[in-house]
Amino acid sequence: MLSSRAAVRGLQLFTWRSLSTSTCLQEAHGKEIATSSIDCSQPQYNDRLDTPLPDIPYVTKFNTEQSKLKEKEKGPWTQLSKEEKLALYRLSHRQTFAEMKKGSSEWKTVVGGMFFFLGFTGLVIWWQRVFVFGKPPHTLSEEWVAMQTQRMIDMRVNPISGFSSEWDYNTKQWKK
Amino acid sequence: MAHPSQLGFQDAASPVMEELLHFHDHTLMIVFLISTLVLYIIVAMVSTKLTNKYVLDSQEIEIVWTVLPAVILILIALPSLRILYLMDEINDPHLTIKAMGHQWYWSYEYTDYENLGFDSYMIPTQDLTPGQFRLLETDHRMVVPMESPIRVLVSAEDVLHAWAVPALGIKMDAVPGRLNQTAFITSRPGVYYGQCSEICGANHSFMPIVVEAVPLEHFENWSSLMLEES
Repeated sequence: MLSSRAAVRGLQLFTWRSLSTSTCLQEAHGKEIATSSIDCSQPQYNDRLDTPLPDIPYVTKFNTEQSKLKEKEKGPWTQLSKEEKLALYRLSHRQTFAEMKKGSSEWKTVVGGMFFFLGFTGLVIWWQRVFVFGKPPHTLSEEWVAMQTQRMIDMRVNPISGFSSEWDYNTKQWKK
Repeated sequence: MAHPSQLGFQDAASPVMEELLHFHDHTLMIVFLISTLVLYIIVAMVSTKLTNKYVLDSQEIEIVWTVLPAVILILIALPSLRILYLMDEINDPHLTIKAMGHQWYWSYEYTDYENLGFDSYMIPTQDLTPGQFRLLETDHRMVVPMESPIRVLVSAEDVLHAWAVPALGIKMDAVPGRLNQTAFITSRPGVYYGQCSEICGANHSFMPIVVEAVPLEHFENWSSLMLEES
């Protein structure tokens, strides 16, 4: 027990830093971390319908060709060809509005999966009816239900606005 | 009794149940209105293309949706309390019956004048005569004179049970060692069914209650007959 306590204490004091996988420790030792975490103190690019003008352009580091295009952009825009204008758009934006609004086909997977499980449930229920359930009580047979219904009418069950109120006692049939 | 697949209440056979029916209509209407409003708002919120990211506060609507629910609650509470006090009014009963719950049957004692007592067992499904109701019929019914105030003292001899007759608007726990009182008047003659309403063991679903409201002479004949039999 003493040794396990010592082991834990040793881990805490001496080996945590060498075994740790925390990114701040690794970065402090010069390792480049390819993380998906973002630095929220800096302006971020976004594709959002309700924020149409992002804070920064999509591409900030240009190669030679892109730099040349950016220089041309500083001149009159009428001299830009259609392809150049589109290329400039793609430099400052990742998606167009049409692409943002497009949506995915995920709903097909969801609906399909839902129908599949509904079908499976139906299969389970059918199996239960065939292999698990016993016979229904004899009071559910048509003859018994007919006698029962007649008895309910004779007893004036719910005569005000319920069952027997739908029966015409003069003509001895259900009211139309 | 309810007809098959019935969803709503049975017709009231006592004035209290009538009041409860109307109260339920009133409250359910409020519930439907609120639910429709909420459903409409949900659909509107989900299907709009507009966005507003800069709402900070809105004092007027906050006042409205605080005061309006309070008013609605008062509109529900006032009729509810009225019926609650109605049920507890002094009623000077003509007859007192003791309903005792056992595992798994009810016994009824009419001890105002003579010592009449009998057990009321469910008729098993295989013993039903054609046309009788499965799981509801009993060999002896609790017969009462119609249109007379009746007091029922409910208790139990072993475990918890509950004596319930929906058409009369009655449900009362049967607690061993305790006498619970309930009262009713039947507005019309008839046969009213109920079932034990507190889990009490294996045959909890198989100890029904049947109240038969008849004119006074019929009640007197019946009680004389029952006294002779016992």
